[in-house]
Amino acid sequence: MNIFQSDGTKPIYVQIAEWIENEILTEKLKTDEKVYSQYQLAEMFNINPATAGKGLSLLNEEEILYKKRGLGMFVAKGAKERIVNKRKNETLKQLIAELVLEADRLNIGEEELFEMIRIARFGRKEGKK
Amino acid sequence: MTVIQCEHLTKRYGKFHALNDVSLTIEGKKITGLIGRNGAGKTTLLKCIAGLYRKTSGELKVFGENPFNSLYVSENCIYVSDEMSFPATLSLEQLLDMASVFYKNWDAQLAKRLFDYFSLNPNQSHHRLSKGMKSTFNMIVGLASRCELTLFDEPTTGMDEAVRQDFYRAVLKDYLQNPRTIIISSHHLNEIEHLLEDVLVLKEGKPLLHIPMSELKEYAIGIQGDSLLVAEWCQNREVIFTKVIGSDKRYAVVKNHVTKSDIHRAKMEGLQVMPVSPSDLCVYLTNKRQGGIDDVFRKDELV
Repeated sequence: MNIFQSDGTKPIYVQIAEWIENEILTEKLKTDEKVYSQYQLAEMFNINPATAGKGLSLLNEEEILYKKRGLGMFVAKGAKERIVNKRKNETLKQLIAELVLEADRLNIGEEELFEMIRIARFGRKEGKK
Repeated sequence: MTVIQCEHLTKRYGKFHALNDVSLTIEGKKITGLIGRNGAGKTTLLKCIAGLYRKTSGELKVFGENPFNSLYVSENCIYVSDEMSFPATLSLEQLLDMASVFYKNWDAQLAKRLFDYFSLNPNQSHHRLSKGMKSTFNMIVGLASRCELTLFDEPTTGMDEAVRQDFYRAVLKDYLQNPRTIIISSHHLNEIEHLLEDVLVLKEGKPLLHIPMSELKEYAIGIQGDSLLVAEWCQNREVIFTKVIGSDKRYAVVKNHVTKSDIHRAKMEGLQVMPVSPSDLCVYLTNKRQGGIDDVFRKDELV
């Protein structure tokens, strides 16, 4: 499995952290459940275990995961909410700023932009059915 | 634990300094990538570490010993390169049997499995192998010897794409099971970067950078857009590389002392901000010459 682009915009350890976050968001990993070890992640994604470890400690710092000595990392209470908040306030806001900038460059008005967003959301829901 | 330690290590060939006052430390159980242009001193450094070359001056300790003429180092270290020579009278199978005598941690099962997987012929002799097959065989010896210090000098020379990827995966899997100190030299950082914990960049016989791979990824950023805006941006910043694009655009690579809000502002001004791939960055950093290949062809215009 190689879902990570090594030439990509984000360092691999950040991509690892985000992948685990997604597992938590989709509830494949639940509160107090054990998370993959750095060696499992290294094997799964074909990366150096130190890189995987760095992704895990990033989530540990953000209190999305907690460490049990000698046992590994576990999903913290309220991890999902914390991820949602973080992504809403950082990632999504930034994406929207860029979206608006591009819309302005193309002279796309607010109504049209909203319509495009609505269509995109509708398309996604249709696709899921 | 420190496995390799150099202080002011110098290796001269006549008047040419292949290694010039190198000081560095390599910690155990890490995979380090050794990157540099042709003639930067990668092979010389690895051969000094393996005890194959005698240093000219300075200090070099491998497992705490001077590696040259050290039995301990030759027992615990393997240097894999396309120069590896094996007795011509022995078949590949016999070579593997011999290797098991030399290396105490030899993993015969792994050797056999890799050998079969890569469909090598046990009865063939080493010097009859194609370039890629030779590299494959050498790599098998390198992995199966399971030496505490494993040095791969451009291990994928001549290997086809599929074999290269298998090789890198094999290194990673074997390292996960048996962590040890591995150094891989390569011209193709983009091929090995996912494997690496640290990266050591050599330029003209000196280490230029020796940092974790993750830091190299964030070491610099690229800015592209209107020449004036880019120039303004580059002020008070360390510019690593710059080139003109079209008539009024410029691309610049600057050392990353940049905050998120800086980037946001740049984007709002209409500049493109992009990461610089470690492989490109190393090319820029290790460039010896002024200008680039384009300038070679510009001769006529100058006259």
